[in-house]
Amino acid sequence: MESSLELTTSLPGTCLPPPRSRIFKIIVIGDSGVGKTCLTYRFCAGKFPDKTEATIGVDFREKVIEIDGEKIKVQLWDTAGQERFRKSMVQHYYRNVHAVVFVYDVTNAASFRSLPAWIEECRQHSLGQEVPRILVGNKCDLRDAVQVGTDPAQKFADSHSMPLFETSAKNPDDNDHVEAIFMTVAHKLKSQKPLMLSQPLGGEGFMPMRKSEEEEEKGVLACSC
Amino acid sequence: MYLKKSKSIGASSPLNGIGKQDWNSRRKRKVGEISQALSVTPVDVAALRRMAISEGGLLTDEIRCRVWPKLLNVNTDDLPEKLAEGLRENHKDYHQVLLDVRRSLRRFPPGMPDDQREGLQEELIDIILHVLDRNPQLYYYQGYHDIVVTFLLVLGERLATVLVEKLSTHHLRDFMDPTMDNTKHILNYLMPIIERVNPEVHDFMQQAEVGTIFALSWLITWFGHVLSDFRHVVRLYDFFLACHPLMPIYFAAVIVLYREEEVLECECDMASVHHLLSQIPQDLPYEMLISRAGDLFVQFPPSELAREATQQHSQQTAASTFKDFELASAQQRPDSVLRRRRKEQAALAEQAQAQAMVVARPRAKRLIRLAVMGLTVALGAAALAVVNTALEWAPKLDLQFFP
Repeated sequence: MESSLELTTSLPGTCLPPPRSRIFKIIVIGDSGVGKTCLTYRFCAGKFPDKTEATIGVDFREKVIEIDGEKIKVQLWDTAGQERFRKSMVQHYYRNVHAVVFVYDVTNAASFRSLPAWIEECRQHSLGQEVPRILVGNKCDLRDAVQVGTDPAQKFADSHSMPLFETSAKNPDDNDHVEAIFMTVAHKLKSQKPLMLSQPLGGEGFMPMRKSEEEEEKGVLACSC
Repeated sequence: MYLKKSKSIGASSPLNGIGKQDWNSRRKRKVGEISQALSVTPVDVAALRRMAISEGGLLTDEIRCRVWPKLLNVNTDDLPEKLAEGLRENHKDYHQVLLDVRRSLRRFPPGMPDDQREGLQEELIDIILHVLDRNPQLYYYQGYHDIVVTFLLVLGERLATVLVEKLSTHHLRDFMDPTMDNTKHILNYLMPIIERVNPEVHDFMQQAEVGTIFALSWLITWFGHVLSDFRHVVRLYDFFLACHPLMPIYFAAVIVLYREEEVLECECDMASVHHLLSQIPQDLPYEMLISRAGDLFVQFPPSELAREATQQHSQQTAASTFKDFELASAQQRPDSVLRRRRKEQAALAEQAQAQAMVVARPRAKRLIRLAVMGLTVALGAAALAVVNTALEWAPKLDLQFFP
């Protein structure tokens, strides 16, 4: 939504100073209906939502977590899956992103085949390999309908230097698992960004991690389930 | 003199206990006036527009079934028979439509039996695919189903189909392009409206870099996606059907302005402000906000804002097709056009006067405008101008003041 309007800003100094607790901003992307809303809701509210609807534009959820005694705000940006939204609408929300969660539906092979397009989408928004990315295969509870096996998914994840998680936002047994996925991302961000600003300022505050660090950790987070 | 300060105007809403008697009698009178407007030949569409905008809107779904077609200039004599079979699997948007409709449970009245709801969901899919199939230039967007379901629940399948088709080629046209560039352009009207009424809120939002996506679902579903009470949704649809296609963006601005205090108390960052604004309060004083949106439209017509809404309009926007549409529906009653023109001239003169006062002192602009316009343009009078304004006379107005 950048426009010349936004360049005409505004009185400096009218805002409160940035909060002291750190904020990790994570964007969640993937095809329509793969369960992005359910995953983010599950993490932030601790339960599976009764009725979710199509996400129009971008929804925002957040949760305060504690790592090593430090309170950290995890902000999840849940995006619309339909292609038309990402082309001209969602790019505003790619700014200052600290991590990306790609989601596909294990019972829908097409959603898996779309992943390269989503990865390309990120690349176009200058989110390269230095930004931590994870791959989540959702709806694992629907065992009889699985179309995307763990092997091809793991191969794909490896080829893009991402850890893979297979989970279900719905199955209560997996509750900790969804939590664990986002906590893992948060731990990774915390360990890699000891000096990160609490709040990215004016779009320039984000400091990408060094690539070598990312590559060293490649695959470490992978889990099988 | 920002919007919030005059909140008490909303107290006269129909849901308020005091003045209930009064509202009942006004309601009865309104039903009579609507019947009268419907009974003349040709139908008095201008009066129906006023009724749809003014307090309480069209009151009942029975009345809506009769009036909405007139507002959209749809002939209800030759409704289509049963919709064509076999559209489904072949349509490119079938899977997306199915996915969105199947999970749109919240749009149906609570307590509706599952089988009834499922039947309606099937009809909803049929209507959407029918309209898309007949209009290959239109592209489905997530949220379109939220609009169509409202028409289905009020009008039933056959009538909903024809009205939705008309709406899709007019009011919703911009949202149904292959890309959302025009939608984005329309969202660009939001901040200029807010700036004119309350620069402080505007500056705060700019500083937070919140963008305008929080209002996207409001705009492209006509608030159907975000309001849980169906009565509020249809009340707004009355209003939007009677107005210029850009009215939903004025209404969005009015909601933000109404929440001025909350916004300014919010932490000034994108996430906090986006989160606050995207959670729409369910107890908004709708009648007051509708009248405010009408006022703002008259004061700051789209043509005046267009220079600030950065991208330029293409000729194909709904805003530009609206003129033809409006002329076509006005032809149902030619003499009303003349009457309306006269009133427009009066409104124009009034506005010109208000503008003349402020052109010299731009910083005082908002205050004076609101004072003058707020007092002099009662909604009833504004309604005609709201419906007919911008495209015909506002450009001339612009030339006058911005040579």
